[in-house]
Amino acid sequence: MSFLSVEEIIKNYDGVRALNQVSLHVRKGIIKGLIGPNGAGKTTLFHLISGMERPASGKIYFKGTDITSMEPYEISLLGVGRTFQTLQIWGNMTVVENIMAGMHTRLKEGFLSCGLWLPWVKRTEKEALKEAKEILEFLGLLGRWKWLASQLSFGQQKILEMGRALAMKPELILLDEPAAGLTATEVRRLAERICQIRKEGVTILVVEHHMGLVMEIADEIAVLNNGELIAEGTPDVVRRNPQVIEAYLKGARVDA
Amino acid sequence: MTPWAYIPQLFSAGITIGAIYALVGLGFVTIARASQIINFAQGEFVMLGAMITFFLLKGGGLPYPLAALVAVILVVIIGFLLHITVLYPLRKASIPILLMATLGASIFISNTTALVFGTLPRTLPAFLGNQPLQIGGIFIVPQSLFVLGATFLLLISLYLLSHRTLLGKAMEASSTDPLGADLLGISRNLMVFLAFGVSAGMGAIAGIFITPIFYTSYHAGTLIGLKGFVAAVLGGWGKNSGAILGGFVLGVVESLSIAFIPSGYKDAVAFVILLLILYFRPKGILGSPFIDSRRW
Amino acid sequence: MVDTNQKEFRKRDLLYVVPLWLLSLILPDPHLDHLRKESRFRRRDLFYLGGLLLLPLMWPDTHLHHLMVLAGINAILALGLSLFLGYAGQISLGHAAFFGIGVYTTAILTTRYGFPTFVAFWASALVSAALAYLIGKPILKLKGYFLALATLGFGEIFLVIVRESHSLTGGVIGIFGIPWFSLAGFSFDTYLKQYYLTWGVLIGLLLFSKNLIRSKIGRAFLAVATSEDAASTVGIKVAQIKLGAFVIGAAFAGFAGSLFACVMSTANPETFGLNLSVLIIMMVILGGMGNLYGPIAGAIFLTWLVDILGKYQEYSLPIYGLILILLLISFPDGIGTRLNIRLIYLISYFGRKKRREKAEL
Repeated sequence: MSFLSVEEIIKNYDGVRALNQVSLHVRKGIIKGLIGPNGAGKTTLFHLISGMERPASGKIYFKGTDITSMEPYEISLLGVGRTFQTLQIWGNMTVVENIMAGMHTRLKEGFLSCGLWLPWVKRTEKEALKEAKEILEFLGLLGRWKWLASQLSFGQQKILEMGRALAMKPELILLDEPAAGLTATEVRRLAERICQIRKEGVTILVVEHHMGLVMEIADEIAVLNNGELIAEGTPDVVRRNPQVIEAYLKGARVDA
Repeated sequence: MTPWAYIPQLFSAGITIGAIYALVGLGFVTIARASQIINFAQGEFVMLGAMITFFLLKGGGLPYPLAALVAVILVVIIGFLLHITVLYPLRKASIPILLMATLGASIFISNTTALVFGTLPRTLPAFLGNQPLQIGGIFIVPQSLFVLGATFLLLISLYLLSHRTLLGKAMEASSTDPLGADLLGISRNLMVFLAFGVSAGMGAIAGIFITPIFYTSYHAGTLIGLKGFVAAVLGGWGKNSGAILGGFVLGVVESLSIAFIPSGYKDAVAFVILLLILYFRPKGILGSPFIDSRRW
Repeated sequence: MVDTNQKEFRKRDLLYVVPLWLLSLILPDPHLDHLRKESRFRRRDLFYLGGLLLLPLMWPDTHLHHLMVLAGINAILALGLSLFLGYAGQISLGHAAFFGIGVYTTAILTTRYGFPTFVAFWASALVSAALAYLIGKPILKLKGYFLALATLGFGEIFLVIVRESHSLTGGVIGIFGIPWFSLAGFSFDTYLKQYYLTWGVLIGLLLFSKNLIRSKIGRAFLAVATSEDAASTVGIKVAQIKLGAFVIGAAFAGFAGSLFACVMSTANPETFGLNLSVLIIMMVILGGMGNLYGPIAGAIFLTWLVDILGKYQEYSLPIYGLILILLLISFPDGIGTRLNIRLIYLISYFGRKKRREKAEL
């Protein structure tokens, strides 16, 4: 049984088949890239894995548990973190609070003990703050920890969103286009950080349009086109796959 | 005496009041479709229509039809004013603010009415006498038939307005995709402005037709407005047909409930129905085109 | 939320920015409360506390004392709603109903069953919270206008039940002769004593809310208000958080209701209709969404306003409606928030100026 396995998923939107019999397996500890033209169903697959939408048929297993019909929060409790293609940062909180909110499930206090600020709440909050600052240091945002998240630049917000997912200490992290809208140097640093995250034992599934980045960091790549999985394998294999070239060239013509 | 004996009578009364709920509900839907605003001052238009007619009739000595016409026009102008002075400046505000603004307008309108026209309950003379007609054992006041007829006519004209004219299409477009409509040169603000006028007019007409049967007073508007909204949600929020169906269902259920529960609880019936429908089927009976959108 | 668009600063802005800045030295920072983790109790809080203690002694005017008691009760209501509306971002038009439940719980327990007021005080909050739990569980899946409508429906149903169940609540006539609040033989029988009681309770609840806001619960509130999707992906149970905010707000309203019953010594269904709910929401909106001191300031202001307007008899309600609308139009994001944004412009203006000068050198 692989770490994350998606079994023959079908998903329809108003009669349009977004995903057709897609099966995908992710081994523990690797970086898996998921690429494909726009509208191929990558983000839909992410929504299904993180429980925000339900498939019409098929099953999704994470660490052997069936998560197909679980609520999003239950899935994240199992150790699946994610970021969004359309940035979902909490702009009304400070940077460090965004990270600390990511630790929500790891802090065990309830409403009453928080309201009464019992001694152990004080202690865990202190520890959480320290840990959040460590994460920010790793992401290079420590200098701005007191800023409101909405005051950060777009690139920094994307990094922050990744940090928030990291804060829950996930075993699997789903990154939805982390490099979109970043400058070349930011992409470089992002690549380094993703590799570093992997070194700490986190499995990563990344959707990305930035080919250079995916080819460089991914151990395996899966290619989706029109809701179907057309190729899977190491970057070199995928790069030479005629179907992939066809899909991308066609997409390019259509886009132009 | 068994309550069953009253049922046909209560049913016909329910249909009459249901027609009014339907019209008020339509007013809510018209504004919401153009702007995604819920105008809690909607019920005040109903009250204003009746009140202004009463004073034109009694104080101004105008003939009945003219008084009614002038009242409707005045209420439409008040509807326009409400949009220009309150909702237009707040067009970018968040839901709680809009909610408070329309509720504030409702407080202002109803209490200003009390100031100007007094706090006594008023009634209007029936259009064609008060002699009840007996149809198959049920007594119906002729006014009920007028209410139904007026509702029917208004529905048809609203249907024609929204489906057969360019204006209606423009309203529809600016509601479903405000930005897109803006880009096509449809002024969203103008559409909302017109929607306020239309729904104010409908409210006023409803008020004028219903007041010969039920009394009205300065604070009656709020409750009628809320029940109209309940009707619109019950039938299917955002659909004209939903508001109509919901209005009649609500009117009949509320009226029939008198036979089975103490009459003091009558006002709670609408809200119990509301909670039930929101819990079990927020889409309403006919389904709602709005339900997935962000605001509801 | 802070507007980050760096607008150009004009000279004439000084006209209001300087007085506002002076005001800000004593007024709370709107919406930045939850950011101050380190300092739990600031010097500014001491100012407030001192002011509160001395105020009734400096003005020995019983009308003012009574007004401040009512303001304190309203502030407790607004504080509770602020957690639900200002932080968790959900609308409730039925908050007055929980206040009413508090009033009637105390009234019934003390007059019918002879419970001491102190017990009734806690029972009121518990009953309110329990009912909020039962009501909130099904209806909190709704959002925006529908949630507002459902809570409004609940409030109306509650009113009808109170009016109609004569044997329990006394119907429209209500319940009379509720005893003064008393604790260990000490009876709060003057407005001055009630003033300290109400504001004491308010300070306790304020500290509770402050703790809540700076803990993980407060972060979850804000997260749910901004993006429920993102909140659920980090494992926040959105439904539970909303329900928690609702129940806590209701418990606060229960406390407020109990105090109100003891202060007025009557319970009457006309006190807590839709108008009260509107008033409470206005307090929160004017004080600024997402801060704790603002609603208290809003409560004092609006209580005072309603009292002033009361002198104008039949003109009071139209003027009240007009003022509500005018306030909303001129301060759509709360007086407090608007004030703070101006301050940020001011600070950024001087900051930029300095930087510019440096660059030129």
